[in-house]
Amino acid sequence: MAHHREHASETYFLQAEAWSAVRNSLALIALVSWLALAAGYALDRQQFHFSYLVAFAFFASVSLGALFFVMLQHLTGSAWSVTVRRLMENMMRAVPLAFLLVLPVFLGVHSLYEWSHAEAAKDPVLSAKLGYLNEKWFMLRGLIAIALWSLFALRLYAISRRQDDSGSIEHTRAAAKWSAPGTVVLFLTASMAAFDWIMSLEPHWFSTMYGVYFLAGGAVGFMAVLIAVVLGLRSAGYLTQSVREEHYHDLGKWLFALTTFWAYVTFSQYMLIWYGNLPEETFWFHKRLQGSWAAFGPILVIGHFLLPFFTLLPRANKRNIKLLGFFAGWMTLMHFCDLYWQIMPVLHTKGVALHWMDAAAWLAVGSAYGLVFWQGLKEKPLVPVGDPRLEQCLAFHNV
Amino acid sequence: MADLAIDPRMELNPPLVQGGMTYSDVTDKISSIVEGKAPKQWWIAMAVAVPLALLLFACLGYLVTTGIGVWGNNSPVGWGWDITNFVWWIGIGHAGTLISAILFLFRQKWRTSINRAAEAMTLFAVACAAIYPLFHTGRPWRAAYWLFPLPNELLHMWQNFRSPLMWDVFAVSTYGTVSALFWYVGLIPDLATLRDRSTTPIRKTIYGLLSLGWRGSATQWRHYELAYLLLAGLSTPLVLSVHSIVSFDFATSLLPGWHTTIFPPYFVAGAVFSGFAMVVTLMTLARWIYGLENLITMKHLENMCKVMLATGMIVGFAYGTEFFIAWYSANQYERFIFLNRAFGPYWWAYWSMIACNVIAPQFFWFKKFRTSIPAMFILSIFINIGMWFERFVIIATSLHRDFLPSSWGYFSPTWVDIGTYLGTFGLFLTLFLLFLRFLPAIAISEVKGVLHQQVSAPHGVPAHGGSH
Repeated sequence: MAHHREHASETYFLQAEAWSAVRNSLALIALVSWLALAAGYALDRQQFHFSYLVAFAFFASVSLGALFFVMLQHLTGSAWSVTVRRLMENMMRAVPLAFLLVLPVFLGVHSLYEWSHAEAAKDPVLSAKLGYLNEKWFMLRGLIAIALWSLFALRLYAISRRQDDSGSIEHTRAAAKWSAPGTVVLFLTASMAAFDWIMSLEPHWFSTMYGVYFLAGGAVGFMAVLIAVVLGLRSAGYLTQSVREEHYHDLGKWLFALTTFWAYVTFSQYMLIWYGNLPEETFWFHKRLQGSWAAFGPILVIGHFLLPFFTLLPRANKRNIKLLGFFAGWMTLMHFCDLYWQIMPVLHTKGVALHWMDAAAWLAVGSAYGLVFWQGLKEKPLVPVGDPRLEQCLAFHNV
Repeated sequence: MADLAIDPRMELNPPLVQGGMTYSDVTDKISSIVEGKAPKQWWIAMAVAVPLALLLFACLGYLVTTGIGVWGNNSPVGWGWDITNFVWWIGIGHAGTLISAILFLFRQKWRTSINRAAEAMTLFAVACAAIYPLFHTGRPWRAAYWLFPLPNELLHMWQNFRSPLMWDVFAVSTYGTVSALFWYVGLIPDLATLRDRSTTPIRKTIYGLLSLGWRGSATQWRHYELAYLLLAGLSTPLVLSVHSIVSFDFATSLLPGWHTTIFPPYFVAGAVFSGFAMVVTLMTLARWIYGLENLITMKHLENMCKVMLATGMIVGFAYGTEFFIAWYSANQYERFIFLNRAFGPYWWAYWSMIACNVIAPQFFWFKKFRTSIPAMFILSIFINIGMWFERFVIIATSLHRDFLPSSWGYFSPTWVDIGTYLGTFGLFLTLFLLFLRFLPAIAISEVKGVLHQQVSAPHGVPAHGGSH
């Protein structure tokens, strides 16, 4: 069933040797980086936990971005995105990995979160919120959130895989049915996770926008990684017929739109706190202006917004595969910078202090997510071959 | 709907025009609204709308000659129904630009049957909204000096550019201008159609002048489509910016309940929510009166219900986040204001808001309600009411109990408040009814575009296929 749908000149399956080669490199990276992290844990536990949290937040947000986008495609009945949806689904499939990878965060509660210290009970502000910010509830909320994400991610993945063989429209309907409540659950739990995992690093501080900020950043990170994966496969000779200029042009539009949305959210949050000028809110930004941290603000304004905004605005640039590929890498870096800037000033209050574990943790967590992602491409089609919208997608043209 | 199950392609790309309408059927049907006699219901609606519009002018005249003390505004509630109504009307205006700009960029073809009327609603809603801050100044003939950076010797004043109220002036006037341009550009080919079909010299002259010499040549179409795309791109940030800046009016202050960072996206979602509700309220009526069931199909209406569900959930999410963070902040003023909202003297307004905005749209989870005209009509009215209460709750509850209990008060509207609000309804409806009567309420040329692209055309309509 699956095979006759293939484009005449193109295979939807990765070559076994190529697949193994990538898997082996990922496994090697994983081995080295996790060993290095283990050593780092012994050397500097506090640094380990902070570096690790940045990496975990990065990949968790990217996989949640994938979950959101898969659901969005089902809800809107998108045809243009069918040929890239399986790659999104494989990124989404890595969501349950968080069950395992959140454990170092739980282990590090005392290193990371001031509210877990005994002195918090004496702090008049913190003592008033310890009913929420305490270890037991923190972990329970995290596990419930991950369980719910996993439920929807695995369900949607299974439905899509089943459609590969059946080609039945029933699966399209089922995916849309799961996506509607899934989106609601995702927004509620992911913003809760953002409050817990990142915002509560500064437990005196609060911002109602923070959940949206986290999701917007995750969406940018996800789109950047997706484009990098798509273009990577294309340069290896795969998907060249099914992901044409028209399709990556649309991915470029999304990267542009999400970057702009991120800027809108970030600017609104900053401007309102700056304008209000209340010390109980401004201290969060003030901390991020100390020493060399002050450089991060301009880096984010220019690198995370102005540069991609003006470069990706013209149509021709989004259809320029080299430029788009550059921005896929660049926005991945910027998403990392954004999270780094949110998390790391809590540890290094005087200024930026780069540490080798920042890179090691990113590689460690990233290679773990990468292995799960890559496993999904083994002997399985790169596109949802049974999707009834596939033909429409292959014929798609931007007007 | 049984035939849809036979061909899956029909379910994936449901026809946007039904009843086997041909190109000329589309032109005839839509033009007939303008060319034929107005139905009885139109006259009845006019008979209600025009007196209400006159009531607006009476109330405003009384206000200007007497002073804004005729409103219920007091200290501490310095903003009452005026700003509530301003924000409410501006919000109503958001569906038009969202449908015409954002849905255009997202290639949502179903927008074509509803965008024209929604854009008209945008313009009329903005006009209604602008009345409130203008007359709240008390001396509207001087408002230009307060609001625009005009040199003036008379008043010896310079505008406060740091005030978000001033940003509002720029945001709303830009929005109004671009929306009007977008609407008019879209109208040009259809105005030419009406010109060509005219049977009287007066109609021919008027529609001829309005259609700016449109001949429908390939060059004209090419320029037209480029202009349309550019205007869509320009309008898209405006959909977000206007209501974000309206939210800044509140959020830049230090008032608990106003000063919160989620306000901009939350206000935008609320605006789209209320805008779609108003479109559903009026379009279900227009569809019924003019028999437009084949053009505004159940699929269109169901999609609008889904948008209301989605934006309603976002609004509910924002209410929850605000409430939670008020507690989480451990700031006693924040905590007080939210408890006071739910259980203080305005509890009835708060729970009306929750019932209309959070509970009512939940019915749209079920296809039965999404495809029932009476259900969506009633629910859309609930949402309109709920979104009014939302703004009233935000404004009145945050103001009425100031930091010192000696500065506590309560807002009650006067008959002028009520008359002015009903009056803007009259103005809005009058303008909308005139629009229905004299301009093509559905974009003829755009609907023909989707008729052309229909993948599998039912009932023997010639399918030209998506030949690109």
